[in-house]
Amino acid sequence: MNAAAREKSFSLAKSRRTIQWLVVIGTFVIGLRHIMPGEVSRGGSFDSFCAFGGIETLLPYLFNGHTLKSTNLFNFSVLLGTLGVSLVAGRAFCGWLCGLGAIQDFVAEWTRKLLGESRHVRGKRSKTILPLRLPASIDRPLRYAKYFVLALVLVASLYMVFPVLLLCCLVCAFFSLKMSAFVWLSLIVFLAGSVLVERFWCKYLCPLGAALAIFNKISPVRIVSDNNHCNHCGRCDIECSMGIRDVPDNLSDPECIRCMECLETCAHEDALTLRVLKT
Amino acid sequence: MKINPRYYPAIIIAAYVVFLLLGILLGFGPERGGEGHGRGALMQLACLTLETLA
Repeated sequence: MNAAAREKSFSLAKSRRTIQWLVVIGTFVIGLRHIMPGEVSRGGSFDSFCAFGGIETLLPYLFNGHTLKSTNLFNFSVLLGTLGVSLVAGRAFCGWLCGLGAIQDFVAEWTRKLLGESRHVRGKRSKTILPLRLPASIDRPLRYAKYFVLALVLVASLYMVFPVLLLCCLVCAFFSLKMSAFVWLSLIVFLAGSVLVERFWCKYLCPLGAALAIFNKISPVRIVSDNNHCNHCGRCDIECSMGIRDVPDNLSDPECIRCMECLETCAHEDALTLRVLKT
Repeated sequence: MKINPRYYPAIIIAAYVVFLLLGILLGFGPERGGEGHGRGALMQLACLTLETLA
């Protein structure tokens, strides 16, 4: 295969989907490994693999000198890995490496298929009713909820002995099958929400996404649009799972998860390009 | 500088792995026993240094 053909056959969307499946399977394996008897002998609990656990336990660690129950120092390494991705490429962790994000993408895809979309045509609006795209008047205020959740969790972490989100941890529900009444409730909300609205959890409730949003403004690796080549056809708007409006003008939007679907969808050469800084 | 999109997945995975390893090297490694850990040796050293400087 020559270089041009190899270039043409490469698909960012397929790479992303492969990585997402690997993340989901890998997390499930780690989860299973940790629900077996003797969890504490296997390098800490399942919760110690959680990036958000690192955020939850950071303030107690700095102020009181010890981590919250069920978290340990490894949470900081996982958090550092997540922050590293964000420092380089903004919220790419949410778009590529988050297990919950992957499940939401799968649910949205399966919903469309169940409702009769046999083949998704890139850049063309789906004819299925679900997932919905909420009107801006409802969507915009709801997006601030995740920042409120983040603030609430950070304040609560100073007064709790265990991570407060553990009470309704979706990662535990999906990957380590640790269920409680509250976890069941949040699981139902998560699944129903994901069927109704694409990336429901990321848009409105995810505190990790809220914490990483700022990095979209400072990360050096970013998508850049060129108005000389872009004809504002709107194909990228249609494909954006985070529902960002006027994508080419809002490429540093805090909501962007850098999934690169816009870049993959764009039909005009050099209208959208991936660059280090803006130069 | 323009980047070929095919390298993007490698860039984010590499960033994740490098920073994860950095965390482990800083002393935030997986620990047996699991929960409620105190400051690691490096952090203790950093805190002591700061206190001494102050």
